[in-house]
Amino acid sequence: MSRVNDVGGQQGFGPVGQELDEPPFHADWEAHVFAMNRALIARGVYNLDEFRDAVERLDPREYLRSGYYENWFRAICTLLVEKGVATEDALQPR
Amino acid sequence: MRFSPGDRVRTRHTDPPHHTRLPRYARGAAGTVLHDEGEHPLADDRSRGMHPVPQPVYAVRFEARELFGAGEHTVTLSLWEDYLEPL
Amino acid sequence: MSHSDASIAARVRHVEALLEERGLVDAQELDRALEAFLANAKPANGKRIVARAWADTGFKARLLENANTAIEEIGLSMGGGLQQQTLKVVENTPEVHNVIVCTLCSCYPIALLGPSPAWYKSPAYRSRVVRDPRGVLAEFGFDPEGEIAVWDASAETRYLVLPRRPAATEGWDEQRLAEAVTRNGLIGTAPV
Repeated sequence: MSRVNDVGGQQGFGPVGQELDEPPFHADWEAHVFAMNRALIARGVYNLDEFRDAVERLDPREYLRSGYYENWFRAICTLLVEKGVATEDALQPR
Repeated sequence: MRFSPGDRVRTRHTDPPHHTRLPRYARGAAGTVLHDEGEHPLADDRSRGMHPVPQPVYAVRFEARELFGAGEHTVTLSLWEDYLEPL
Repeated sequence: MSHSDASIAARVRHVEALLEERGLVDAQELDRALEAFLANAKPANGKRIVARAWADTGFKARLLENANTAIEEIGLSMGGGLQQQTLKVVENTPEVHNVIVCTLCSCYPIALLGPSPAWYKSPAYRSRVVRDPRGVLAEFGFDPEGEIAVWDASAETRYLVLPRRPAATEGWDEQRLAEAVTRNGLIGTAPV
């Protein structure tokens, strides 16, 4: 489906900004999101295509507003609920 | 393998109601098969919890003019056989 | 750390703890896997591949023919990710300059090079490089000669650019050659 991720050829996103001496991750939580996702896929909780699908199904406004690993984290939460691993409520810190 | 290097193909035009790996900028476009990239289960089906039989994936090259109406470059995509029709 | 960063960090910690409670992840294992990944997957691998290809024409021919088996000769593999991916190395020539993108998400030879730079994942790069590669490369201060071939990694193959060997590197050993290669050169947004 033509979803928000499907940006090839679209105009208006502006210049490509480069960051000097960029680290692999910008915060510890980003590395944890990355590692958690790999672990959940390796365990078969969901597959990589289901994960990509979940990223693409995010609210388009949120997708464009949020950082890359923030979108990953949202997609992971979506799948944990859909796969019956946890309820929406249980995913929220008290 | 349905297609060989040099074959002319056209990509599917439809916008499926699910995950797909055929970007919209390359839909309904005519291109040339460069080489095959082995057989892989179709992402569209895997994303929906199905277990599809692997099918050929091809590197298909498009002229920028065909995709965007302008440009001197080429764009090559990796496309599942399901996305392609002979031209 | 911004407020929103602190709040998402707390949410990630909470979900990770929950998954650990359910026996789905092991925090220590996660840390170990991450450490191993970051120690092994870095642009230095791509630079070594390029240096060997410049120094050894036989290796270069094998690399362009079947990159997965060729890189094993120098102790590398595409197996560090979730699945063994196919690697395709595309060679720059005076006639053709190659550039890599993933317009749909952020596919990248991550098992070899590590996480991609933020600009590679940005909608700006992904949207524009397929339509106006010269305009995008100009922002990187680069105006390649010849035709531009863009590769959109839309399925299971991951691409790596083999830059042209710079003039005046005759007689350099592989280590010195590798130091001349940049991460952006492996993506195609720099000449080398």
